[in-house]
Amino acid sequence: MPVSQRFLFAIFLIIAFTLVGVDYLLPIDPAVKFLLVLAALAFDILAFSTKLYMDFFIPFLKMKGRTVVIDTDEPFRMAPSNNAIVVRKGADIFASAFVTIPTYRSATEMNQDEKIDFARLFSRALTLTKLPVKFGAQLYVINKDEYINNIKRKLDEAEERYQTLSISKTASKSESERIRGEVTMWHNLFESVNKVKSQALEAYAMTTAQGGTEEEAINLALQQADEIAAGISAIFGVQANIVEGADILRFIEPDYMIPFVTVSEQMRGAEVGQQQAV
Amino acid sequence: MMDEQTIIYIGAASFVALFVMFIAPSLGEFGFAAVILAILTIVLVFIINYADFVIFPIVTTIFGIKIMPASGYIIPKSANAVVKYVNGIYYATGYLTANIYNYVFSAESVDETENIKLGESLDKWERIVMSAGFPFRFNIISVAEDVQKYRDELEGKRGVLEVQLSKEMSSSNPNQLTIQDLQRKMNVLDARINRLSGGERPIDALMYIDTTAVGVSEKEAMDSLTNQLNHLQTLFNSFDLSITRVVGREVFHLFTFNYSLPEATTLRTIFSSQR
Repeated sequence: MPVSQRFLFAIFLIIAFTLVGVDYLLPIDPAVKFLLVLAALAFDILAFSTKLYMDFFIPFLKMKGRTVVIDTDEPFRMAPSNNAIVVRKGADIFASAFVTIPTYRSATEMNQDEKIDFARLFSRALTLTKLPVKFGAQLYVINKDEYINNIKRKLDEAEERYQTLSISKTASKSESERIRGEVTMWHNLFESVNKVKSQALEAYAMTTAQGGTEEEAINLALQQADEIAAGISAIFGVQANIVEGADILRFIEPDYMIPFVTVSEQMRGAEVGQQQAV
Repeated sequence: MMDEQTIIYIGAASFVALFVMFIAPSLGEFGFAAVILAILTIVLVFIINYADFVIFPIVTTIFGIKIMPASGYIIPKSANAVVKYVNGIYYATGYLTANIYNYVFSAESVDETENIKLGESLDKWERIVMSAGFPFRFNIISVAEDVQKYRDELEGKRGVLEVQLSKEMSSSNPNQLTIQDLQRKMNVLDARINRLSGGERPIDALMYIDTTAVGVSEKEAMDSLTNQLNHLQTLFNSFDLSITRVVGREVFHLFTFNYSLPEATTLRTIFSSQR
């Protein structure tokens, strides 16, 4: 139980007890006594509420309009080393690091015993460290922008070659056919890539460390992440690595899980889903 | 089961209310109202403790209260999602509880179906991934427990069961169903103790699913999110789970878990009911 929570609980409880005590000991008007009882019970409920709503108490008292502002800062900052994030909660400094867990096998290519073994390996991975670890498997939308641009460029190049060849009198028929086939291939690929949603599944582990300074927290988090990566590599026989740079954002920011360029595609999918549900 | 902290909080809050009942006669004509209010206080304390997921959204919805957990994020008054607004697009993230504990950890029911379930779980997971069609994330936050403490706890429980079993067997009219039930419980404990001997560590774990939906307005994103969560609920039903949407203050806590995990003691308090 955090100290601030204990402190607030004690304060509210003492106020409630004092009010009821005053009621009991002093010969005052019953109506005033009743008001004191009401106040005592209100403080009693407030005291109990600190158990669950401690994070909301102070922001609630400072509330502007109808919005309870818990924090006005960004939820995290990227560490200067680009391989962890730093979170400040009041005077406390935390750093979190992420480890990717590559998986190359599918259940479809495993027999029953292998499936059971794999599930048990997973169970072992969860007990890698005594510290809290978050294991996640996320299905996210791939940003196909670069890939699509590449295909479009190839399509344009092939079309240009085909046009040059068509007006050339020396071009052979077989060469012309081959280029036309290439144009069709890039065109079909371009069409199909645009039509389907591309998603990827990625597993990862996340660990957090607290430190007196930002550097200390980052170093501790990276040390923990290294241990987890080594453990995962040993258990699954894969190369688990600490995530760096913008790749971290995919695990924590919704706008990186669904990149902006894929939003319209996602919305179209949602509309189709809704229509099917109807 | 109540943990130590809950017992202290409920005990202290109830004591104040009982004290009010005790002094009620000195309030004259207001005495009866004071007793009623004191009883209501105790009831409210229990409701907050066991069903705050009902109280919290009711309060935020009635008073139209939004919560801003960090810059750029808002928990709307329905308290069932976290919304981010970027580049003219709303990203709404919602959460579902998803405890698949039985599949991997605590179903040491020496029962043969356990292995079948374990094997099937991989196929089921892949089917879910293939049919989802939108981004989602399955999360497990685990904390390893003290092995010796856990082992002592299990052996203590086994000892109690052994006494109950011998008592039942030596009674003049032994009940076969009770004996079978006690033996089954003992087998589960034995299997757990064996797993500890095999080098496995016991863990406390919190499992949840989150998904994000997009929209050009907050309402569109929230509606899409509800559809996605309903779809995930249907898909994960193949695991034979009871999945519920997370509402209230837990939404805020799960949002913070994206960036930093709380310390082990805090997590253990939260997870005590899932052991």
